[in-house]
Amino acid sequence: MTDALVLKDVRKSYGNTEAVHGISLTVKEGEIFGLIGHNGAGKTTTLRMISTLLRITSGSISVYGHDVETDSKGVREIISYLPEDAGAYKDLTGRAYLDFIARFFADGDERKRMVEKGIALADLGERIDSKVDTYSKGMMRRLLIARAVMPSPKLAIMDEVTSGLDVVNAYEIREIIRGIARDGVTVIMSSHNMFEVDMLCDRVGIINHGDLIGLGTPDELKREYGVDTLEEVFVKAVKG
Amino acid sequence: MNHLANIIQKELKELLTPGAIMSVVVMVVLFSILGGLIGGEVDKAQTLPSIGVVGSGHGDLTIEDGGVDWNLYETLESIYGSSIPSDAEVGDYLIKLDDFDGDFDRLKDMMSQNDLACALIVPDDFALCISEGRPATLTQFYIYEPEGMFGSISSTVVTSIASMLNTSLSKELLMGPTEGNPLFYSNPIAFGGDNDCTMINGEVHNGILPSDIAGEISSQTMIIPIVIMILITMIGSLVISSIGSEKENKTLETLLTLPIKRTTIVTGKIIAAAVVGIIYGVAYMIGMGMYMGSLTGTMGSGVNLEDLGLSLDAFDYLLVMVSLFLSISCALGLCMILGGFAKNYKSAQTMTMPLSILAMIPMFIIMFSGWYGAGPFIQGIVFAIPFSHPMMAMEALMYGDVGLVLSGIAYMMVFAVATIAITVKLYNSDILITGLNQNRTYQKLTGKK
Repeated sequence: MTDALVLKDVRKSYGNTEAVHGISLTVKEGEIFGLIGHNGAGKTTTLRMISTLLRITSGSISVYGHDVETDSKGVREIISYLPEDAGAYKDLTGRAYLDFIARFFADGDERKRMVEKGIALADLGERIDSKVDTYSKGMMRRLLIARAVMPSPKLAIMDEVTSGLDVVNAYEIREIIRGIARDGVTVIMSSHNMFEVDMLCDRVGIINHGDLIGLGTPDELKREYGVDTLEEVFVKAVKG
Repeated sequence: MNHLANIIQKELKELLTPGAIMSVVVMVVLFSILGGLIGGEVDKAQTLPSIGVVGSGHGDLTIEDGGVDWNLYETLESIYGSSIPSDAEVGDYLIKLDDFDGDFDRLKDMMSQNDLACALIVPDDFALCISEGRPATLTQFYIYEPEGMFGSISSTVVTSIASMLNTSLSKELLMGPTEGNPLFYSNPIAFGGDNDCTMINGEVHNGILPSDIAGEISSQTMIIPIVIMILITMIGSLVISSIGSEKENKTLETLLTLPIKRTTIVTGKIIAAAVVGIIYGVAYMIGMGMYMGSLTGTMGSGVNLEDLGLSLDAFDYLLVMVSLFLSISCALGLCMILGGFAKNYKSAQTMTMPLSILAMIPMFIIMFSGWYGAGPFIQGIVFAIPFSHPMMAMEALMYGDVGLVLSGIAYMMVFAVATIAITVKLYNSDILITGLNQNRTYQKLTGKK
């Protein structure tokens, strides 16, 4: 399998403080990779560096062979980043928002097809023509997932993707993620929901205070720590 | 704690941020400085002007048969003596000038040497006219210097001094035998009309006083600083709020990860804000123009500036447009930088304050003092603020001061390029996401010290 994402000794400093201490990992094409860690562990910083939002202090990140520092435009052409608590332009309708995003990726009929794909993924019915500021949190998240998946990225980066959603919305969004992975899209996501990560992710990385302290499939990690759930793995890993 | 007090305490904590307090302090300081500046200009304008008296024995009038013994210069000394500050001397304000034989260039030189605001020209037939019972004509001569809203008051003061001379001579004449036209005895000295003259750019124009010119120029150009100040503030608010809003709604992170260049995002925001700002600006220009037009009767003097060589040609208008365009570019560049530091929509509103202040400083200075009436220090401040240049370009070009406008354009080009370069660098850095203090951001994220 092709290496979709390669992080080599990635470090990130804010001023004099190092937030990420030399993380190295590889994500294979079509894999769903989960990053877990407590608040402020360095998950969001890592995802932001992969998505070219933050400059890396040292080390390297390569997305399908494109280096984030030297070829950031090339990286942005094949990724989709969905930040935690992301929003959309409130004065636009859901359809207009999807069309606004689609214009950065395609023209003419291809763009129309992309928007139709987004509308189908969002599955908001007639509300797709309502203004975004009238959407519930679940509807907003479905729209944003659709936005992220609609351009058929090679790598989808999702930060706390189901955070704060009800059971049904969270389930449906997990189904969307599973579906795009089946279509060959590589996914790297962070989450505090261990049940979700256990069900969804092929492999998991545990970050603690900027260090990668665990890496493997959920089953491998459970065996390594001698526990039954990923939640117990996490607690044991971070508490030493 | 009382519930109401609890709510008030929380609201005050949110509203009285260090930024908000700083804005209030800056506004107080700004208005006190402007108050002092305007007060100084008014005091300067109301100070008795220095006058030179020239011609026909400096107004000596002795009519033995009529028992008249009156001297214009001595009367002026008496008027000034009762009006000047106690530590000043009349000689500081009044000077007898040598005859100029109709050579106004020579008169101008004498006035410049003695720093005089006005020359009162006594005609050769002054005594003859009075002795024959005809009004004698006294001419006021000025060299026009552009000096802002209050700069022309000196000519108004001289006119009132001339009126006092009339009253003094009238009293003197009425003490003797009165024959002929009684109107002569109430107004023995004629002023105003075509007799008064002003030198503008080396040419003498009859029937014009500096106050007439200043009034006309003011009525035509006063709107410009106000409109530009509104335009800059409006554009600034649009751009900074747009970025603050993107940060608050978390749409900026999405935008920055789309396959577009950062310069495209910056340029797009700048152009959109410029278009909306210009629409607002034109609307305000029309509105203010109509408002000011209704005041033309009181502000304008009906002087045709074209006849005085103070009008603009096509090249001048082109320079004004270039100056305005560059000024807007500078404002947009500055706004993009300020917007980059805005954390959310609310903090973006606070960020517009420095820009508004920068636009208000030159507006007030140019309206009340004018570029030419300001001292070197104030001129330095005004020149350094890029928004000043289109505010003063029109007036400068009326006086033929192309150098000032061109140097302003050169300065604004450098300023605009520098701010846009900084903006692109900012948008390519982490600051847009993490804020200025990266250590603090990290501490907030992690809770670590």
